[in-house]
Amino acid sequence: MLWCSIFLPALPLEVYARGSDDDTTQPFAVGSGGSRPQIVAANAAARTGGVKRGQAVAGALALVPGLALRDRDPKAETRALESIATFTLSFTSAASLVPPSAVLAEIGGSLKFFGGLDRLLAAMKRGIEARGHAPRLAVAPSPLAALVFARTQRSEPVLESRALAPALKDAPLAALGLDSRVLETLAAAGVRTIGAAEALPRDGLARRFGPGLVEALDRAHARIPDPRAPYAPPPSFETKLALPAPAHDAAALGFAAHRLAQDLAAWLLARGLGVQAAELALVHEPWQRARVGRPATVLALAFASPARAIGHLATVMHERLARTALPAPVETLALATRSTAPLAGAPLGLLPGDEADAPLVPLVDRLRARLGDTAVVSYATRADHRPERAQVETTDATHAGTDPPATPGAPRPLWLLPEPVPIGDALAAAPWALCDGPERIESGWWDGGDVRRDYCVAQTPQGARAWIFRHHARGTDDGDWWLHGWFA
Amino acid sequence: MGQGTPSVGHPRDRKLTLSSPAARLAARLAHPAIWRGGDCAPEPASLPTGFPALDAALPGGGWPGAGLTEMLLARDGIGEIALMLPALGSLQRARRDIVWIAPPYRPCAPALAAAGLDLARFHVVRCARPDDALWACEQALRAPECGAVFAWLATRDERVLRRLQVAARDGRSFGTLWRRPGDRGGAASAPLRLGLAPHERGGLLAVHVLKRRGGALGHPVVVDLEARSVVAPGIAVRPRPLPAPPRRPDPRTVAAHEAVRTTPVRRRLRAAS
Repeated sequence: MLWCSIFLPALPLEVYARGSDDDTTQPFAVGSGGSRPQIVAANAAARTGGVKRGQAVAGALALVPGLALRDRDPKAETRALESIATFTLSFTSAASLVPPSAVLAEIGGSLKFFGGLDRLLAAMKRGIEARGHAPRLAVAPSPLAALVFARTQRSEPVLESRALAPALKDAPLAALGLDSRVLETLAAAGVRTIGAAEALPRDGLARRFGPGLVEALDRAHARIPDPRAPYAPPPSFETKLALPAPAHDAAALGFAAHRLAQDLAAWLLARGLGVQAAELALVHEPWQRARVGRPATVLALAFASPARAIGHLATVMHERLARTALPAPVETLALATRSTAPLAGAPLGLLPGDEADAPLVPLVDRLRARLGDTAVVSYATRADHRPERAQVETTDATHAGTDPPATPGAPRPLWLLPEPVPIGDALAAAPWALCDGPERIESGWWDGGDVRRDYCVAQTPQGARAWIFRHHARGTDDGDWWLHGWFA
Repeated sequence: MGQGTPSVGHPRDRKLTLSSPAARLAARLAHPAIWRGGDCAPEPASLPTGFPALDAALPGGGWPGAGLTEMLLARDGIGEIALMLPALGSLQRARRDIVWIAPPYRPCAPALAAAGLDLARFHVVRCARPDDALWACEQALRAPECGAVFAWLATRDERVLRRLQVAARDGRSFGTLWRRPGDRGGAASAPLRLGLAPHERGGLLAVHVLKRRGGALGHPVVVDLEARSVVAPGIAVRPRPLPAPPRRPDPRTVAAHEAVRTTPVRRRLRAAS
């Protein structure tokens, strides 16, 4: 067993800052909320202005007047931890949450597949950083020791249980996550490091502080098992992303939408699914909701085939956002799946570059995202003699095709006019030569679309070939001539 | 035009025996480093048209598979789509889609299916604004799953056409712009421009090669659309001899129909006897 702990020291800040890509210039801090709010975390710009952790919010605002301040959001932090745990499930099968700010992953079984510890850690770190977090990774044979090393910023991994005791010797007891009263009592006795606590008699420690302290020491040194509840991604996906500052323009939400696409893609991968339909809600500021008339602008996203790639999801969201006008500023984005379908992984190409031919986003999805769902149509044939009803337009290409193999015996033009047009005037000016026909089409008296027509192929004086018919509304051989198509 | 026959470019098309001096000269000149004025530029990704006479007139022996083609169409309904159907069918068999952008009429699905097209790989894009059509055209040309893009665009902006040509080249798509002859601009960026007009004999289509990468072609290529039976590439089809012109105009005209209908039966009988 080898555990990797992912510790996120700036998580309260990151749950807001990851929604925007220019978080470094603007001073930004997160307060604790409540009656006497304190600063919980501050970004680099705010810290250079003198804002410190534990400072009163009023004092921080006095130091940096332009400080953007949001209240701490424990739910968002849990969601972020879950999202990171979901992401680590693409590296391992066993991940576990350690609230409030860490995730554990068992990586002993994944080292060979990912090409060694260094590459695995680099890939995990890169992926988490791409999600807008600054993780601190540490590796140890026991989960508790991995957490201690991550909190104490030990960078070199510990791979064997024997090496745990010397590595943990100088670590502070506080990193074990013990009760604060226990820590105070021990500190008063001069016991501040794990090594000092190990040197004390075990039975005396257990009598004085209860079994918890001794157990924690044993678990950290991998002397007793330390079972962790495995994290399972939820059966349905629903997440929110709060922005550091309200956005006035839908196009500016593209960066946040990309973050949501990352989370959704990780969840889909962990559950082996592809998304078919989803809803992206742009939640407006509370005091604007009455004026707008609705709490959020909801965009329905539809995919022609189950989708999972980050680029595909993000592109569809970008296109939808680009043609959305915001009635009011947006402070939060929420993404939820409406319909999913199992999607197996694609086999890798034999040679590098083999899989490059697979399109990132299907063309039809990209066109529909910008032009509307009905802008791209396919055709299917129907078993009907009437030309208007012998084909239907469909927006689902999987339904297109020749459902009944309708190959008419008589010629059919490649172009159909949307509506037949009368050509009596053109015929009066110059005669058209009949080339083929007539073909009688008489059908539909039962469904209201009654037609009785004689279709002919005719050549116009200019050399074009037309599909014309006589419409016998009253009887036989008494109708007017109509143009219905061109033999293009 | 070194050898008297101004029409066809490539030496391999000339039926000459190796014994004659001209053949020996042609074999010597067939070296890839030698370029002659009458030759067409090599087109690596060409797409057989299905009509041998037209293949011989086009650079590379077919439609440009990675580039833009401009079609100047005198009027609709002269067999312009039927001319493209063999190439579209071969693209679909290569598992690539066909996209028509802003077509002027509604495509007739039973006719397309009867011509061998797979309707599941055929998409029509309708655009409310001209800008949308341009955007959709560029996206489709660049999409790897899309093999042929037919666009009926209203623009004659040279920069736009240049951009579409680059998109077709990068996306390895067979892009076709359908335009009216009056829309012919100045310097067009499409490497191939054809004019389509009905031939004076029925059932034939005259293809004027207005611009190609190679020597100019003075006379139109006459294509017999009804002889189109090339389904699989590689099967040569002997072109049907051109039919003799009809001696007199076809009496079965619409006007004749009208005359028959309005004539009383008795007079018709008398005329028949």
